[in-house]
Amino acid sequence: MTAVQSETNPSASALASSGGSSKGASIHAKGISKIYGSGENAFRALGPIDLDIKPGEFVSLIGPSGCGKSTTLLLVSGLEPPSEGSVEVDGMPLTRPISEVGIVFQDHLLLDFRTALKNVMLQQEIRGLDKAELRERAANLFDRLGLKGAEDRYPRQLSGGMRQRVSIARALVHDPSMLLMDEPFGALDAITRTQIRHDLEMLWLETRKTVLFITHSIEEAVGLSDRVLVMSTSPGRIVEEIPIDLPRPRPAHLGEYPEFSRYAQQIYEIFSKLGVYRF
Amino acid sequence: MGPIMGMNRTMTEERTAEYRPSLDNGREGGLLAAIGQLRGSFAGSALIALISIAALLGLWEWLAIAFDVPTWLVPKPSDFLGRLVSDWQLIAGHAVATSITIVEGFALGVLVAVPLALAISSIGALERGLYPVIVFLNIMPKTVVGPILIIWFGIGPLVAALIVFLMCFFPVLVDAMAGFKAVDRRLFYISRSMGAGAWQSFAKFRLPAAMPHIVSGMKIGVVKAVEGVIIAEFIASNKGLGFMIMQASSFMDMPLMFAGLVAAAIVALLFNGLMSVFERQMMPWAHTGR
Repeated sequence: MTAVQSETNPSASALASSGGSSKGASIHAKGISKIYGSGENAFRALGPIDLDIKPGEFVSLIGPSGCGKSTTLLLVSGLEPPSEGSVEVDGMPLTRPISEVGIVFQDHLLLDFRTALKNVMLQQEIRGLDKAELRERAANLFDRLGLKGAEDRYPRQLSGGMRQRVSIARALVHDPSMLLMDEPFGALDAITRTQIRHDLEMLWLETRKTVLFITHSIEEAVGLSDRVLVMSTSPGRIVEEIPIDLPRPRPAHLGEYPEFSRYAQQIYEIFSKLGVYRF
Repeated sequence: MGPIMGMNRTMTEERTAEYRPSLDNGREGGLLAAIGQLRGSFAGSALIALISIAALLGLWEWLAIAFDVPTWLVPKPSDFLGRLVSDWQLIAGHAVATSITIVEGFALGVLVAVPLALAISSIGALERGLYPVIVFLNIMPKTVVGPILIIWFGIGPLVAALIVFLMCFFPVLVDAMAGFKAVDRRLFYISRSMGAGAWQSFAKFRLPAAMPHIVSGMKIGVVKAVEGVIIAEFIASNKGLGFMIMQASSFMDMPLMFAGLVAAAIVALLFNGLMSVFERQMMPWAHTGR
């Protein structure tokens, strides 16, 4: 079904063809941790953890708040150096921030003074990429993400869901090999969240970027991922790895799958065991 | 009922625009409707303002004549408005001098305050060291340094410009610092992930993100500048409206003093207007409807 859709949808095929569409990167992290401060005041915020993400894989990291999920994202992107351990992207050790990446945070972090399109085109301005090509890619993404007509609007004039969609367009317009998302739907209402989850899944099915998706929503994790990594409370460690074997694209109401409830139950049980839930 | 409806219309002009014709055709019609319609438009509100000012001046003129108030005590509007016309070259010359002083002092204030704010908000040690000094200087009445500056630089527009600088520098500094500090750290991550260098990070992310704060500091700064410039010229200049008013005062030339007052108000209005235009330019998203 996916293949048929990407053939019949002109914008989707344009998206795939323009710019040669870079493939997903592999992420390999070994024993990474983050320790703030030193001596007696040292605080271990994360790990050590290992990550092994295959090219084009959609992996979610789920865990209680404050367990170091966001820190993991910063370490994987090279934006913060790990205190211990090392990260390899496509087999190359990471020494500085990688640029083959798109990042989406919980807050849209769009620039108020730029229109939606100009926010997205910032990628082109700063990277010095071909303007016409990036404009076409941006137009395709706006189309795919239901942002048609919002190009010249300022972020303040858009709804929360629209802003986050623009933020996703900004993260993808330069065709990165990996997409890092830190609770991207956390601030959205349930209805918007379900729709945007589906739209993201469809985009991912066409482009097959490597995605590291950080969330504390079991529904999002199971609804989107190939694999869910469950983290413990602070300092976060990966305590369980759950491959999600559900057909794609996944439905709005995940309850349609009895397996979904099984996966959700499994994660609840891990959280209960860890003391995240105390009922 | 009519006037109240008219007032509502000004406030929600856009939304009620389509209902206007039906209201105007209503039974109240006539003059009230005409006034209501005038209130709806900018030209209308300007006209109403002009009419009320004219009425006030007319009352003043009439009272001054009726009670035979001497010109040296309170001049009639016809005296000082006439003076504004007959002596327009003198007054305009001083108004231009005052405007130049404002521009110089204000520009210097912004050019020093914004980079300093960036440095202070970026370097922790600088903040701890400099901030108490800045707070002290901010509390200190700025005109106090006038006599000192006169000794250093002599009486002239330069000293007035320096006082204006001191007056508008602090609000811009304080707001710009708040602005630079309020920039989300994750925005910095996004700029890094795009491969932005230090300069690009500043020019494309940090400075524009801090701009609303900087502009609001500048708005306060302009008000302080147009207020301060006259006082500065009272004490430390040989040019400008403040100086002209001071000189007129020593000759008991009341009409010229009042004419100077009107001219100063016009200069203040002009600078506040320019600031509003600048604000619209810098922050277009704040002025376009949803």
